[in-house]
Amino acid sequence: MTLSYLLRRVFHALIVLVMVGIITFFVVRLAPGGPSLLADPKLSSVERQAIEQRLGLNEPLPVQFTKWAGQTARGNLGNSFLYGAPTVQIIMTRLPNTLILAGTSLLLTLAVALPLGLASGMRPGSVFDRITSTVSLVFIAVPVFWFGLLLIILFAVTWRILPAGGMNTAGQEGSFPDLLRHLILPAVVLSAASIAEILRYTRSSTRTVSTQDYVRTARAKGVGQWALRSRHILRNAAIPILTAVGLQLPRLIGGAAITETIFGWPGMGRLSVEAALGRDYPLIMGITLFVALAVVTFNLLIDLMYPWLDPRVRAEA
Amino acid sequence: MPRRLFSVGLLTLSFALTLSSAQAQSGTLKLPLINDPIMNPVIAPDLGSVLINKVIFPGLVRPNEDLLPEPDLAKSWTITGGGLVYTFTLRNDVKWHDGKPFTAADVVFTFKAATDPKSGSRLVSDFSSIKDVVAVNPTTVRFTLSRPFAPFLTLLGHNAGILPKHLLDGKPLNDATAFNRSTPIGTGPFKVTRVVPGASITLEANKDYYGTKPKLAGMVFKVVPDINTQVAQLRSGELDWVNVEPNSIASLQNDPNITLKQANAVQHFLVFFNQKNPLFAPAKVRESMQYAVNRKAIIDGVLKGYADYPTGTLPTALKKYYDKTIKPVQYDPARAKQLLAEAGWKPDAKGQLVNARGEPFKFTLIVDRGNPSREQAALAVQQDLKKVGMDVTLQPLEFATLVRDYLIPGKYDANLIWWTTPPDPDQYSYYATGQDNNNAFFSSPRADDLLKRGRETADVAQRQKIYNEFQRLEMTNPPVLVLYYPKELQAIRKNLSGVPDLGIRDALRHSEDFQLK
Amino acid sequence: MQQTVPQPVALSPARRSARRLRRNPSAVWSLAVLLLIVAFALLGPLVYRASPETIDFAQQFAGPSWGHPLGADENGRDVLIRLMLGGRVSLAVGFFAVAVSLVFGVLIGGLSGFFRGWADSVLMRFTDGMLAIPGFFISLLALTFFGAGLTQLVLVIGLTSWMGLARLVRGEVLREREELSVEAARALGASELRVLWRHVLPQVYPTMIVNATIGISFAILTESALSFLGVGIQPPDASWGNMLTGAQNYMYSSPWLAVYPGALILITVVAFNLLGDGLRDASDPQGR
Repeated sequence: MTLSYLLRRVFHALIVLVMVGIITFFVVRLAPGGPSLLADPKLSSVERQAIEQRLGLNEPLPVQFTKWAGQTARGNLGNSFLYGAPTVQIIMTRLPNTLILAGTSLLLTLAVALPLGLASGMRPGSVFDRITSTVSLVFIAVPVFWFGLLLIILFAVTWRILPAGGMNTAGQEGSFPDLLRHLILPAVVLSAASIAEILRYTRSSTRTVSTQDYVRTARAKGVGQWALRSRHILRNAAIPILTAVGLQLPRLIGGAAITETIFGWPGMGRLSVEAALGRDYPLIMGITLFVALAVVTFNLLIDLMYPWLDPRVRAEA
Repeated sequence: MPRRLFSVGLLTLSFALTLSSAQAQSGTLKLPLINDPIMNPVIAPDLGSVLINKVIFPGLVRPNEDLLPEPDLAKSWTITGGGLVYTFTLRNDVKWHDGKPFTAADVVFTFKAATDPKSGSRLVSDFSSIKDVVAVNPTTVRFTLSRPFAPFLTLLGHNAGILPKHLLDGKPLNDATAFNRSTPIGTGPFKVTRVVPGASITLEANKDYYGTKPKLAGMVFKVVPDINTQVAQLRSGELDWVNVEPNSIASLQNDPNITLKQANAVQHFLVFFNQKNPLFAPAKVRESMQYAVNRKAIIDGVLKGYADYPTGTLPTALKKYYDKTIKPVQYDPARAKQLLAEAGWKPDAKGQLVNARGEPFKFTLIVDRGNPSREQAALAVQQDLKKVGMDVTLQPLEFATLVRDYLIPGKYDANLIWWTTPPDPDQYSYYATGQDNNNAFFSSPRADDLLKRGRETADVAQRQKIYNEFQRLEMTNPPVLVLYYPKELQAIRKNLSGVPDLGIRDALRHSEDFQLK
Repeated sequence: MQQTVPQPVALSPARRSARRLRRNPSAVWSLAVLLLIVAFALLGPLVYRASPETIDFAQQFAGPSWGHPLGADENGRDVLIRLMLGGRVSLAVGFFAVAVSLVFGVLIGGLSGFFRGWADSVLMRFTDGMLAIPGFFISLLALTFFGAGLTQLVLVIGLTSWMGLARLVRGEVLREREELSVEAARALGASELRVLWRHVLPQVYPTMIVNATIGISFAILTESALSFLGVGIQPPDASWGNMLTGAQNYMYSSPWLAVYPGALILITVVAFNLLGDGLRDASDPQGR
């Protein structure tokens, strides 16, 4: 791993971000319709013009693009149409909430998927393996919004043991147990599909790894079951698993749209739905760029971690 | 078993509470929003914002249970100068939530901003009749109008909440992001204490409120975007009041903790027929639509009966002006065909309507997508019109696209949409020739004359006559096809009382009377 | 193009795979179930003739009867025929979206690997960019802005899911260019592009087919999720996704309205996934 390689990767990442920005700008602006602020049939023509002028929509598109590009290059993503506040500020108030939800889901995913995947990968074809495989498939296949509403009806309406949505009981913001109660259902819904996917990856890489010679040797040398699992198999199965987790990232950060909408969770997913449906151009651009930045950075980090995890990659790079 | 224990516990608890706080405020009312509101009545366009602003920002007057203006921030008023000069005497005991006194200067500031489109005002057309507003002294405000304008008082009590000059003076209202989003200051019975973006707005009772002391300890507006989750939260007690569409009724009917209430809404749901399109220019064709579409079936089937049968564009909620003696047009496809034949449209061998040149009666009906009631109503309209031989294509569109690319430029044939109007019969801007909201391009000299006289006449008896005549005119020359006047369906938890028999918008103007047991 | 001579070398792995697939019971069952579902959607409406759009308010939420074997929905429309026609739409979204993504993946990956140099750079950065945007968000945006319908859904889902395949094809092309077989073929005078086409594609077929199978189930699920946000297939047309979304309003009173489309989505997606797994195992040379 040389410095020039690193610089090249960072340069590539920047180009990717510029591309994302340009693509989104033109997709959004060339589309029919307009910001939802203007979608009020009651507006008089005077009010309509005042709004267009305020939002800077009355100028020709190339002028708007130059302005936007100049601003963005200086790190100013503009003011949201819907909220009137700076886009970055809005994203920053929502981001922690999404991180709480996505982080919990990720932990839940790993806590469930890794041991189960490892266990079924070690004994492919066993009853245990078949049951986990089938159950995990069902979780992949059930539409998220339906699963969410089903859980709400069961846990909040019928049994009344968990809240039906929100992040806190109003007035109890900052109470950790209260937050935890609100977290359970959305975290379960959000991780359902990820658990199933990571489980399948873990299972198949475990299966591949455990037939390798060094594992057989270790087993023959009398290395204990747990040491074998943790040191030899899991470590070597880590790369494909980590890559798979990386691929879940855009979904967790930007794609929690449905889960957050159903549970009224005030995060980025819900914000992205609002931005799209409200056609809030600056907010749409901001969210897209932000998520792209996060994904690109994460992928860069994974790239940098490969050599640490796998000596063979170190030699090649 | 556990539920029984729980309810016993609850009983004891509420009993204890009643004992300890005989007169004190208690209970927090929880209401849903679908996204973060703009807490500034002059610039807030959406329903959620409108609702919360009713609680925070009182106006000079407010509607009573008959939807007539009663004193609020203004103690009394006089109308002089031939209906052109309105002089209000303000209360002198009103304080803003930050403790500063409320004066006439605040009222003047608010209406200067409201009539200036550059401030971001959404009330410009409501108050375009104001020529001048001055503070005569700290408790007297005088409005001078450029023309007599009968709905003026009603509009003052509708969305025109008064804003604090001392916090907002000097720049466009739109730029006051902190005020609009997190620290609004009003004079209402509840004041905002905490805003969690995307999640909730917490309000507590205002101890210095000038009217009856609020009976609730506070209110919480919760952001719950999905309607099915709102219903679930209502059932689980996490919300106290949710306005629902008729299709949710089945989910709520059997719940012992929930009452379903109907309130009159000043709304009419309708189909625009673009009268720039030669198909719809003849009055006979538009008249025939009223016979061709089975509106009774739509009301019973789609709205489960929670709507009134229409005659004209004035909703039944405007009790004073709605003329009950006019006989509504009933479903009668034969009569529709006859009228269409008179207008030159006769069925061909296949039953399709064609004109003398053999051209078919063919058009596209657009509707905004995502709302089950409107989509179903559009389906029903399409089917009924097909039955009389029209070739109707249904096209659901996203609302923003529908309005901006189709409705406003007039590039459509027919459109199912709705109007929510202030509680006043004035429909000049909707149905007079060339007006901003006349999206069907309806034009009738007689209607123009009636609507103009209607908005300029202050005398109620005379206004009644004018609007009754307008309503009768609409039976034979309908500007639009009115489908129904919906009822507002309020699903309310049984322990909430003190809510006046009004739509939620106007009921929230009386939130100090709400009570949770 | 002239008829190609059967190539025993290219065909025999496929035949071997087919044999292995037959020995995988869950894949065989899945295939059978999928054929049944396709038949239900494609042939069903030819046998069972009912109007999917006729509103009959008298029949709202009616239970099963001779007239409506699976009952009627909130508009009194026949549920069975809507499930069949909705199945056509949902399956069409699945198949065509995957077709779009295959075409794009092969085209972009192929061109990228073939031209190399700056064209490769541009195409690969574009691919990275598409991978970095959350696909669901961009689909939602595109459908809000350009209107929702079958064509738009197919394009949007297809255009946000070709990236993995493109990378794979590019890698194969790059590898293949170096291989002797290509050199030999070039010596025989075949055009380079055609050689690559002939040699590379068979290499990626197995992965393509596995991707496609799972891609179909992904597309069906995506359509249902987009329906929930109101940008899926638009009424009066039915899809399993919008039927399930519509049924959400009646979960307490008529839960069976949600059960039918929900179960069909579930079964179809599980079956496509099992089939994909079976195909993967079958095409894996080390598979047992």
